[in-house]
Amino acid sequence: MKICVCVKHVPDSAAKITIKGKNQFDESINFILNPYDEHAVEEAVRVKKQVGDSEVIAVSVGKKDAINTLRSALAMGADRAILIKTNIRADSVITSRALKAAIGQDGKPDIIFTGKASIDNEGFQTMYRLAAALNMSVASNVIAFSLDQERVLVECEMEADARGIIDMPLPCVIGTSKGLNKPSYPTLPAIMKAKKKEVKIIDLESLAIEKPMSSIEILELKPAVEERSSKELKGQPEEVVMQLIRVLREEAKVL
Amino acid sequence: MDFEIPESLRMMQETIRRFVKQDLEPISDKVEEEDNIPEEIVQKMRELGLFGLSIPEEYGGLGLGTLGECLVYEELTKTNACFRSRIGTSNGIGSMGILFDGTEGQKRKYLPRIASGEWTACFALSEPEAGSDAGNVQTAAERDGDHFVINGLKHFITNGDVASLATVIAVTDRKKRSRGGITAFVVEKSTPGFYTGTIERKMGLRGSHTCELIFDNCRVPVENVIGGEPMIGKGFKTAMGVLDKGRLTMGACALGAAQKLLDMCVEYSKERVQFGKPIARFQSVGNMLADMATEIYAGRQMLYHAAWLRDRGKMVIKEASMAKLFCTEMACRVADKAVQIFGGMGYMKDLPVERFYRDLRLYPIYEGTSEIQRLVIARELTKD
Repeated sequence: MKICVCVKHVPDSAAKITIKGKNQFDESINFILNPYDEHAVEEAVRVKKQVGDSEVIAVSVGKKDAINTLRSALAMGADRAILIKTNIRADSVITSRALKAAIGQDGKPDIIFTGKASIDNEGFQTMYRLAAALNMSVASNVIAFSLDQERVLVECEMEADARGIIDMPLPCVIGTSKGLNKPSYPTLPAIMKAKKKEVKIIDLESLAIEKPMSSIEILELKPAVEERSSKELKGQPEEVVMQLIRVLREEAKVL
Repeated sequence: MDFEIPESLRMMQETIRRFVKQDLEPISDKVEEEDNIPEEIVQKMRELGLFGLSIPEEYGGLGLGTLGECLVYEELTKTNACFRSRIGTSNGIGSMGILFDGTEGQKRKYLPRIASGEWTACFALSEPEAGSDAGNVQTAAERDGDHFVINGLKHFITNGDVASLATVIAVTDRKKRSRGGITAFVVEKSTPGFYTGTIERKMGLRGSHTCELIFDNCRVPVENVIGGEPMIGKGFKTAMGVLDKGRLTMGACALGAAQKLLDMCVEYSKERVQFGKPIARFQSVGNMLADMATEIYAGRQMLYHAAWLRDRGKMVIKEASMAKLFCTEMACRVADKAVQIFGGMGYMKDLPVERFYRDLRLYPIYEGTSEIQRLVIARELTKD
């Protein structure tokens, strides 16, 4: 079985982002493998072990430094990687077309895993566009995945406390979410082995992808100012406790 | 000059950071209380490859350079120091004698087992009469045909109880001593006449066991001399080479702990309010934070530079001693300030600050005291 994992090189959410000029930011900060994509890599490697005789290929669109994120995916267990190198800030249209072209060149996979969104742009679109371009079925927000011969059964988180169950054929694109698995951190020997695994670098220009009719341009970046306000919970102690639990779970998301 | 940390080492730092956060921090207090690291954590350390950091790839290790090993240690010492200590002897003093001076057969026999963590290795040098004065070891190895018979008592041996293998430094010629009368042996724990003695009670570093090793007519074949027959009488050099290598990694351990203390102090001083404002806004506290950060910065530059030089094949005897001396003493100063910033809470066992304070006090003592480091530095400065 051939499994692709699309991963993105994103700024570390713990890093302090400093805006440069109107629409740039200081990129000397730490970058990481997009956390949602970690779940994708973990699941791809798990499926590979389940099926046997399979290959996991990590693919990324980004600047040359994105190779570091591909190395992380290789250390987590991917077999080889493809970097589609570009200095442009690719939106989901360009990204999905680039992925389609590179994946097409490499040979169509049975499953493509990718995070449901990237934590930098949070577009939530790439997997749908990629699936449409490759004519594959797609599911997002996936928190449970099982493979049985030629069919896939997934559970998707629709909204709080609501789940959709989808039975879909291969090939398919799966948008992974938290809860699908617990990504394991790579061992030191795996990191050493990843240094020796193949990373193929393709220039985006060489893929000659069709220029989109429209695209996203970032006009201005501004630091997000977190509004802080106090809130009083009222009622009987039992009610207040229930309200507090709801706030901690749904707003603060600490439970 | 390039100060960039190579990507693979950065990934290793991240792995250790996660390991510390997810697996070690949650059990740190329990380990402290029970004075023992659970076996499942040791197993996880084996899986992560932590026992073979410095052992070359051809012998089953990772073959990390000095900088790589220092970076791993720096992250691993941001939690309870005993975890680093558990892997420390296998990566350093317990295995390096075999790696530096062992025969090919000894390397093939022992290093893969040490690197995988199957066997823990320890280093048996210290004795009641031989601390910094390593040439004064009383443990004696008498030749008896194609064997040596070892008798004596070692103490303060880190991981002595869990080790399956020890590098043992013994006197084979009392007249010559460090000038040709000291020999290094590799002795398996299962050898008759080799026992673990008392597990010593320490001020800190709970979870890491330090104990006596007893040799009572312990017969080891001549092929267990590290380096074989030609190395009989040359064990002092082996012992010094082993200690020399460990200096930078000890500096890294101190650095990691100091950084963790600073991070905790910065966070706490911004939250702790007295006289209506966070204590970080008081100049006296700010000054302490500034001094801690400055010393840590200086220590880090020293350590990384010396490690970088060593990885480029340069002799770093003086620089390694300077880094060990400065980083370990600096970390004690940082810990002292950290207790002061946390005030009463810094003295309580509810927070880890007091544990760092106790644990760090060992660093300027073991693997070469500060006094020995100064002696080495002065000797290097004034040699002809």
